[in-house]
Amino acid sequence: MIHIFCALPCEAQPIIQNFKLTELKQFDLFRIYQSKDKEIDLTITGIGKLNAASAVSYHHASLNTKASDIWLNIGVAGHADISIGEARLVNKITEEQTKSCWYPQIIFKAPCDSIALITLDKPSDDYQDALFDMEASGFYQMAIRLGTAELIHSLKIISDNAEQATSTVNADSVKKMMAKHVITIKNILDSLKPITLEIDSIISEPKEYKEFLERWHFTQSERVQLSRLLQQWNLRLPNDEITKHVIENTTGKSVLNVLREKINASEFVIHD
Amino acid sequence: MISTIYIEEEIASHPRTLAILERFPETTKIMCERYGEIFNRKSQNFRLQKKQPALILARKHKSLVLPTPIQYGIGAEHNYYFSHMLNCLYDCRYCFLQGMFQSAHYILFVNYEDFIEDMNSTLNKHNNEPVHFFSGYDCDSLALDPVTDFTNEFLPFFERNPQALLELRTKSTQIRSLLKREPIKNCVIAFSFTPDKIAQALEHKAPDVNKRLQAILDLQEAGWQVGLRFDPLIYTKGFANEYSELFDRIFTKINPELTHSVSLGTFRLPKDYFRKLEKLYPDEKLFASPLTEENNSISYPVEIRDDMLGFCKDIITKHIPSEKFFPCY
Ligand code: SF4
Repeated sequence: MIHIFCALPCEAQPIIQNFKLTELKQFDLFRIYQSKDKEIDLTITGIGKLNAASAVSYHHASLNTKASDIWLNIGVAGHADISIGEARLVNKITEEQTKSCWYPQIIFKAPCDSIALITLDKPSDDYQDALFDMEASGFYQMAIRLGTAELIHSLKIISDNAEQATSTVNADSVKKMMAKHVITIKNILDSLKPITLEIDSIISEPKEYKEFLERWHFTQSERVQLSRLLQQWNLRLPNDEITKHVIENTTGKSVLNVLREKINASEFVIHD
Repeated sequence: MISTIYIEEEIASHPRTLAILERFPETTKIMCERYGEIFNRKSQNFRLQKKQPALILARKHKSLVLPTPIQYGIGAEHNYYFSHMLNCLYDCRYCFLQGMFQSAHYILFVNYEDFIEDMNSTLNKHNNEPVHFFSGYDCDSLALDPVTDFTNEFLPFFERNPQALLELRTKSTQIRSLLKREPIKNCVIAFSFTPDKIAQALEHKAPDVNKRLQAILDLQEAGWQVGLRFDPLIYTKGFANEYSELFDRIFTKINPELTHSVSLGTFRLPKDYFRKLEKLYPDEKLFASPLTEENNSISYPVEIRDDMLGFCKDIITKHIPSEKFFPCY
């Protein structure tokens, strides 16, 4: 699943339109939108890092997120001299108030350059050689508790700089800038999806696991052993149908014993 | 190859930092206060990062030179190891670094001068007795040598101190800077090997057995001493054939005079590291090997261990004198 967070409705609107998201009316603390296939959702967080953190937390509680999900904070930001309308991924987030830092891990070929960002408590025209925003640190520190650093990112579109200050920014101009970068967002998502699939393959239980739990009772520690033994079986005896060997057993313990004996008795070849 | 470099503020203007940054003009550079902010964070995935590791340039503040575990050694009473780098260019599935670190990024500690000073005090502590220093415990010693200039910077210390010996543990063929120097007696370039098919299955991105063997021959030709490390020995059905073929190939080619030492040890990992690796690579056959848990360590059952060690020892000691043989059980 992909979770997108924007501070303002004008930042969110082109994304909502493009991915055909509809509002989930049952959630009233933050506005949450979702695609028909439930693969992409978007929450409007409101301005500020505390709102951003609360929105991530609410979103997680409302939609049951997974460790392999993609988390994206998308919005506008200021910078000293990057041209208005350009996009940047964020490679370091510093929270101005606490000086805490986070480092999103960009392990894919990004469609735009990456740069450091400072999350401020108040808007500022005192531009630096880093992006300015007001949400990324709140978003990131909450999302990193739920996902992995390789899949949690902040994408910022430059809305103001030393030559053209915040006063020139309005909802319409933001919508236009965001609309131009829907393609950038899609590119990033295309690069992140294979990483999600890889994590899913790492954390998924062996295919027979669920069936075994339904058929026999296993204690918590036996479940861990079961998972490991099924994994070993699939690696060492891939062509031997497993169920026929254990079907007669009446307890989880005896099932584990049979699996262990059969695996130990099998020959071990490490290469093909 | 390296697309991101993190730089600790403290060493941003260190000459070695500047020299390395000059080699990578196109990379994204990110400043940080301490490398741990990136390297030690939870909620990151070693396996995913291994696809595109960043380089972190940092200062090592303490514990620069440390005593080795007791059973680790090739003939001296005083044994120390040091790590100018953490993590490795290669991706051996049995490597304990995957279990030890949260991150797959390469850390390079650029303050070589502090390592050398620490080695010097270590030597002084032992009153001119022989001291062995091992490199390549937390990284491959040579794989990034063209970038780190490690050998050029450290070898002069050993030239000046013949009572110290340096072991460079490696699977790399990056031996150019060694071949350019006059060989010294107190440096051993120790190559680790597993048989071809096992290497293909487990030692991802590492040079193949033939290339490593060629690097040994080139080094010996130039007068350098080499070591052979059959550690970890990996069990598979028919291991005896595979290992005897490997020993045959190596011992018929190398120069025994310039073979400093041979050591061997079977695959083993601390239990916590093993469990982490098993989770990172659930489809890896190595972790479905016949293994047992003993004293918080995962290793082959004693019968397999004895069988492999006995078999290998018999062959190896036919080729080299027993005083050059160091089993590491
Ligand atoms: S070469 Fe050594 S340090 Fe590098 S991955 Fe392999 S075992 Fe680990």
